[in-house]
Amino acid sequence: MSSLLTRVKSKMSIFAHRKARGMLDGEYGSVFKGRSLDFDDLRAYIPGDEVRDIDWKASARHGSPLIKRYVAVRRQTVLLITDTGRNMAASALGGEEKKDIGVMALGVVGYLAQRHGDVVGLVCGDATGSRSLPAKAGEAHLERILRTVDGGTGLTSPRSSIGEQLSYVARNYGQRMLLFVVADELVPDAGMERLLRRLRAQHEVLWLTVQDAQLAGADSATQPADRYDVADSRLLPGRLAESEAVIRAYTAAQEQRDAAREAVLRRLGIAHVHAGSSHDVMPAVFTLLERHRRGK
Amino acid sequence: MELIFWWMIPAAFLVAGGTYWVVRKRDRIDGSVRRPVAHSHRLTELPEYRAAVRRHRRWLTVAAVAGGVLMAAAVVAAARPAERSTVSPEQRNRDIILCLDASGSMSSADAAVVEVFARLAQGFDGERLGLTVFDSSAVQVFPLTDDYDFVQEQLAEAKEAFDGAPGSAGFLDGTWNGAGSSLIGDGLASCVEGFPAAEDGAPGDSGGTVERSRSVILATDNFVSGDPIFTLEEAAVLAKEKDVRVYALNPGEFDYGIDPDQPGAQLRMAAEGTDGAYYALDSPEAVQDIIRKVQSTEATAFKAAPQAALADRAEIPLGIALVSGLVLAGASWRLRS
Repeated sequence: MSSLLTRVKSKMSIFAHRKARGMLDGEYGSVFKGRSLDFDDLRAYIPGDEVRDIDWKASARHGSPLIKRYVAVRRQTVLLITDTGRNMAASALGGEEKKDIGVMALGVVGYLAQRHGDVVGLVCGDATGSRSLPAKAGEAHLERILRTVDGGTGLTSPRSSIGEQLSYVARNYGQRMLLFVVADELVPDAGMERLLRRLRAQHEVLWLTVQDAQLAGADSATQPADRYDVADSRLLPGRLAESEAVIRAYTAAQEQRDAAREAVLRRLGIAHVHAGSSHDVMPAVFTLLERHRRGK
Repeated sequence: MELIFWWMIPAAFLVAGGTYWVVRKRDRIDGSVRRPVAHSHRLTELPEYRAAVRRHRRWLTVAAVAGGVLMAAAVVAAARPAERSTVSPEQRNRDIILCLDASGSMSSADAAVVEVFARLAQGFDGERLGLTVFDSSAVQVFPLTDDYDFVQEQLAEAKEAFDGAPGSAGFLDGTWNGAGSSLIGDGLASCVEGFPAAEDGAPGDSGGTVERSRSVILATDNFVSGDPIFTLEEAAVLAKEKDVRVYALNPGEFDYGIDPDQPGAQLRMAAEGTDGAYYALDSPEAVQDIIRKVQSTEATAFKAAPQAALADRAEIPLGIALVSGLVLAGASWRLRS
């Protein structure tokens, strides 16, 4: 079995080739590393760096843009939160298993954090309970985190409930952290909103939604007709979802749900983005960091 | 109503159970090709989808019921529902030889006998009919046959001859070759010999492959003039040996007193000696009644033992199967489209 982290890195390098190299690195650094008053040194500009960090005088002398580096205020703790219930073993919008997308997203963020010297921890689980891995540095630890998520998610896992993991975090972590939540399409209710507000008061929260498979409509035309629900094994005959009226109603309901989720998370000040396949993960994380910076 | 292959029904249940088990097992394996999805309520809570499911379910129910009824009806039909009834079939394997005295005094009675048999032959099925006419010598007009068209034709010709129609006299050619006229004993003996020999030499023995009753309708006035080779008594004995019943019709009974030597009494004795019967005939019209009586006597005498008859009654289950098959075809077309 090839290393999950290798897969994440190769994905990132492909992304880096397509965008400007290191863009994501710079993005993460400028978003999270913060600025203390203790100047450390200068380094070459990499795309994604804050423009206001450029040392214009030094750059003028040097001939190319230079960035002022400060001694980091503190080591940040990044807590990855995800769902390893059987919902995550179901199909995503793009046809993969949702956990593959989740692992990719966790890997990208974890790797960025790790590169910047942050420690990365994990909280995962299902409706029956949550597990946690302590926050540590190092690629080996990150690989272990990814394997825990990948191996712990299957069609035989218990039911999913991301609320369980969130309340676990609320109960057990006292320090201020950066929370990166990977979950599937959340249906926010009053209790969930309260919980998120509580977490948001203590932590910085980034949220990536893994989009669920489309159950009716054009996108599902190339896929096998019959589906079943992982929660209760209920059969969903594909033919029944092919009629015009059903597709129209489904599309409308889907838009409404997306809008509702978006509205709740925005209201709470949680940067939110969604990804339907593992190709979407890199741009999604980039957008997420951008949004988080703008939200500050 | 009973089922001949009653074991078909438990067998069908076993097969159905086995098929169900196999299908269930395969279904569980096939489940992997279905795509797992989460949050199916996104679809199932839509009223449009629910309506579609309801419609689908309704057609599925129709198809399932029709399929079940079709299967059940087919199994019932395969089990052969049959109606058991007891019948005493009338023996259809009778041989009858008409033995007609062709002397002039008999022609009207002969014509009546022939006419009645021409009519009866239309309803015959399996019976064989032969015709022999005699006067001083006997002529077999046609032997025992079940070619009823031919019989009709011959009987019509005979009727014309007995009625004295012009140009039909040739029908009776060859009946005057013997010495004398009206040699009744010879005539009867010729008729009796017209039956084929019993297969195993024991006439009337039920050991033969097909037991056929044998009877002779003898129409004569028993006025012998001449010297017959067989007397009437001898001919009657011959008939009894060959198990042939003789039914004698006498159109002109001119007996005086009850003397057993009188021709009518002799004829009666001869006929009754072979388990047959004797009828004195007042008018040719009475022939019809008498022959009907003879026929029914024969029928009673030869009524076979009551048999259990089984008649398949598959039309009701097969009809149900047809209708439910059509419904199933319609429902599955509806489900597929």
